[in-house]
Amino acid sequence: MELKNLLLELSAKQGTPGRETPVGEYLAGVIAPLCTSVSVTPLGSVICQLAEPKEGQPHLMLMAHMDEIGFVVTYIDDQGFLKIAGCGGIDSKLLTASAVTVHTRGGEIPGVICSIPPHLQKQGEEKTLPKVEDVFVDIGCSAQRARELVELGDPVTIASAPSPLMGDLVSGKALDDRACCAALVRAAQLVKDQPLACGVSIVFSTMEEVGSQGGKTAAYQLNPTHAIALDVSFALTPDTKPSRCGKLKEGPMIGISPILNDGMTRQLFELAAQEGIPVQTEVMGGTTGTDADVIATTRQGVKTALISIPQRYMHTPVEVVSVQDVENTARLVARYLATLGR
Amino acid sequence: MYDTLAALVALPGVSGRETPVREELARQLEPLCQLSVDPLGNLIAFKKGRKTPKNKILLSAHMDEVGFIITYIEENGMLRFAPVGGIDSRLAVGKRLKIGPGAVPGVIGFKAIHQQSSEERGKVPSFEELYLDIGALSRQEALEQVQLGDTAIFDTGLLPLGEDKLLGRALDNRAGCALLLELLQKDLEYDVTAAFTVMEETGCQGARTVAAQVEPDIALILETTTASDIPGVSPENQVCHLGKGPVVSFQDRGTVYDWELYRAVLKLAQEKNIPCQSKAGVYGGNESRSFQTGACGARVAALSLPCRYLHSPACMLDRRDLDSMAALLEALIPVAATL
Repeated sequence: MELKNLLLELSAKQGTPGRETPVGEYLAGVIAPLCTSVSVTPLGSVICQLAEPKEGQPHLMLMAHMDEIGFVVTYIDDQGFLKIAGCGGIDSKLLTASAVTVHTRGGEIPGVICSIPPHLQKQGEEKTLPKVEDVFVDIGCSAQRARELVELGDPVTIASAPSPLMGDLVSGKALDDRACCAALVRAAQLVKDQPLACGVSIVFSTMEEVGSQGGKTAAYQLNPTHAIALDVSFALTPDTKPSRCGKLKEGPMIGISPILNDGMTRQLFELAAQEGIPVQTEVMGGTTGTDADVIATTRQGVKTALISIPQRYMHTPVEVVSVQDVENTARLVARYLATLGR
Repeated sequence: MYDTLAALVALPGVSGRETPVREELARQLEPLCQLSVDPLGNLIAFKKGRKTPKNKILLSAHMDEVGFIITYIEENGMLRFAPVGGIDSRLAVGKRLKIGPGAVPGVIGFKAIHQQSSEERGKVPSFEELYLDIGALSRQEALEQVQLGDTAIFDTGLLPLGEDKLLGRALDNRAGCALLLELLQKDLEYDVTAAFTVMEETGCQGARTVAAQVEPDIALILETTTASDIPGVSPENQVCHLGKGPVVSFQDRGTVYDWELYRAVLKLAQEKNIPCQSKAGVYGGNESRSFQTGACGARVAALSLPCRYLHSPACMLDRRDLDSMAALLEALIPVAATL
């Protein structure tokens, strides 16, 4: 499948934290032909064995999280309106009058976040953002029907059909971190039929947005010698500063941070230079806020690097990435695989 | 009714750019009515009935919708935009738009929550701060797809929802247009003039010129009105309720309505056993004032569909209200003709 289509399809799948099965099954299906085995951990992370670990050789774990931020239904009131709570870091600017999808056992049902239109607002109301704990979702049903259709705990996502923008840009929800899931599928395609000296396990992890529980336990299970976490990071927009961002279309961002392994990081820069892959540098003073933090401290500790795909509007339903950046991320990862253990 | 409404909602028609909606209406009405388009773009349709009424009756529904207009293109390819009509700036971030005749996709993003200061997290961004990303890397590239003055709409259509509900953009006032269109497709007892008007959302300029041309005795305004029957709003502030029938106004911020006509509508609904409700509160306004005060003046009534989340990408109507309003309108014409 063309990379752009893979991104669009991945964006459309449901996978709020702890409820990643739809996106997990989709990814397992896409990557299965490229792997020797695919398995699922007790916490739902999908492990794809690209090359079996070999005694005395490095075992590299590549990890991208497949969960997305969203909401969860917490209560159904006597008029059939749903109360929700956030699941992951939600910006309350996204709430007003947003169409949503409620993911029920019977399928997806549409809804909208309640709001008061300008005609009826009290003075000053337009200057106040609603809080997640104060809003309701309207699914247009009586309480009885709502209770038949919806269970407490059902996931809710902001409805946003992914779409291409100009050039090679793609916009959609959940591209944090499905863009990196796509990059790993693409990397697996690039090294297909190549003999690898190291063992390689690809992990699509769960629950990164609520604390990396999926990544932590998958790392423990696999016990790798080396790991690369892949996530998205901030791309420059008119409302941000160049000192705090990478740029779209200027290549993957290689992370430098106390928690990350300097040797691996240096090697990624060298390989990128050799291959002519454009890369950017992202420096973080402490931890990284990604799965890399929990991987690095697993068991005896794991040498870990971080590669990030630049992204605009993170944690919104209109996240934007460049296909070229995803491709270059895949190329860099593929090059590293071919080198490790030689 | 659903198909008629869905076809009209699918078309863009931001105030001043109603042509796609007008052309579709004209296409359907051409075999049924005598049509004219005035200099402002209003579509006026005369439908011959079996009788000529004592009172000249005008039915009006506005074609335009709230939306956005592109005001500037930055060197970096980002578009600046302004609202057309009353749009809450809180509902912009995270939405998808379709821009201009080419329906170019664009998104309204915002810096990631991780990069916002605690003050920024609680602050409502103004339209001046926001920008539209179409993926252009420079002004020149953007100009290949859009131009200044292009209008933009939310990228949402119409879909059924829950029990009897419909969710979609521009239900204000394609719902009124759909009702009027279907009325004109019926065999009518009395002659009526129908106006599909422009620019209601930016000040009812269309209605004013229609009033001067048609000079009606009675003007019936078909609209949508804000229903706030949602959690957290006390009963006295809910205004009207979905599923309880068309809303008749005695007063809003623009108009004190003709009391006799208002009472006649309520009495008729009761006699015919059609659900109907009064607008419980003085809020908003519509074209009624333009017809009431246009030419020599007309007696006006506003019949509105109760609608939640008005002026948003996802407005909500109840299908049963559409049916009730269609029935009430048909019954009302003979009453208005002889009032």
